[in-house]
Amino acid sequence: MNEIIRVENLHKSFHSLHVLKGINFKVAKGEIVSVIGPSGSGKSTLLRCLNHLEVADKGSISFEGQYIAKADTTGKAVYKSNKEVLAICSNLGMVFQNFNLFPHKSVVENIIEAPMMVKGKSKEAAGKIAEELLNKVGLLDKRDAYPNQLSGGQKQRVAIARALAMEPEIMLFDEPTSALDPELIGEVLQVIKKLAEEHMTMIIVTHEMNFAREISDRIIFMDDGQIVIDGVPDDIFVNPDHPRIKTFLNKVL
Amino acid sequence: MADLLNISLYILQGAVISVKIYVVTIIFAIPLGMLCAMGKMTKIAPLKWFLEMYTWIFRGTPLLLQLFFTYFGLKILLGIELSKEMAAYLTFIINYAAYFTEIFRAGIQSIDKGQYEAAKALGMNYGQTMKRIIIPQAIKVILPPTGNEAVTLIKDTALCSVIALADILRNAKSVVSRTASVEGYLVAAALYLIMTFVIIKAFKYIEKRFEYYN
Repeated sequence: MNEIIRVENLHKSFHSLHVLKGINFKVAKGEIVSVIGPSGSGKSTLLRCLNHLEVADKGSISFEGQYIAKADTTGKAVYKSNKEVLAICSNLGMVFQNFNLFPHKSVVENIIEAPMMVKGKSKEAAGKIAEELLNKVGLLDKRDAYPNQLSGGQKQRVAIARALAMEPEIMLFDEPTSALDPELIGEVLQVIKKLAEEHMTMIIVTHEMNFAREISDRIIFMDDGQIVIDGVPDDIFVNPDHPRIKTFLNKVL
Repeated sequence: MADLLNISLYILQGAVISVKIYVVTIIFAIPLGMLCAMGKMTKIAPLKWFLEMYTWIFRGTPLLLQLFFTYFGLKILLGIELSKEMAAYLTFIINYAAYFTEIFRAGIQSIDKGQYEAAKALGMNYGQTMKRIIIPQAIKVILPPTGNEAVTLIKDTALCSVIALADILRNAKSVVSRTASVEGYLVAAALYLIMTFVIIKAFKYIEKRFEYYN
């Protein structure tokens, strides 16, 4: 298996709150993994640890065999230098629940910013990629609009295009539809589906159970800072034998 | 009528020093405030502590007292003899930079942390994030309070008359004592009003240019 992400014995606390309690998992190239579970179970924190938006306390995280953080003999996570971590993490695209578009930049400027600043692309080259991506997410006509002129669904599609413009090896989605009105969720899920068809490697933290079931190769069910089940969708949706999953599914389905 | 013209021309001469203090203060205090604001947001404890003391002292004591101290106090204390103009420049720059420090710090800290996270997730380093993402947005937040300070500053320049700089107010006062009429004060008031009007308009214009997004 051509592994992209490997996480070993990951622990994370916020002050006295122990959010992640020893997480182990791997993601292979081309795999689509959804992370589900009740609120506060640590799903988002786990995702944010992968690209250094949260700093893990213990354990190891590696990307394509390179350690971002490596556990020392006591288990403590020792990170590479900020510069090295940033360089490695720029291979991980991230889509946020609240979009986090740059409000002072137009749609196309949002997309070309990082390719120009980080990858040193010319404005023309970055602009060309931006237009292709906008076409892909169906928003080419909005290229010169500002974020405040867009609906939530459109904002999230721009945010996806912005992350893709860095040509990431893997995309991380942190509840990409949770801030959207119900009628706007579909358009965002469509875009994610399109990426799935292109075999983009993805980790998706979501509450959209049907979508997760349909799109995922694997589903990770988290509860109370631990992975309870890591398996194919049918393990969770067809014959859930774990009482915590049953309780959870009864609440959300 | 000719009298009024003479009075006005005389007081207008005082506007030269007022405007000079104004321009020098703006040119130096704004960048200095920006640097101090950045300094306050670092993790370097002694620097933060020093800047905290600085803003506390200069925002916590009267500008008039600071002006006296720079001009008369330094001479007594350290034997440093500054020209009147230099004493005024120095005091106004250091005093206003303290206010700008707090305005800029608050403006930068008002930017949502999601903006930093988005930039970081895209691989942008801290310098790029500040320069391209945070500060351009902070400017929009900072403009209205900075405009307020800019208006206050032109009026505060009148304080320099106490160290015998021949500014608008001092010239107006000497006119009033000479002519024993209030015209001098009225002309001075008109001059301040004109200048503040221009400053307010200028800031309105700049703020408008940032209205394209919210």
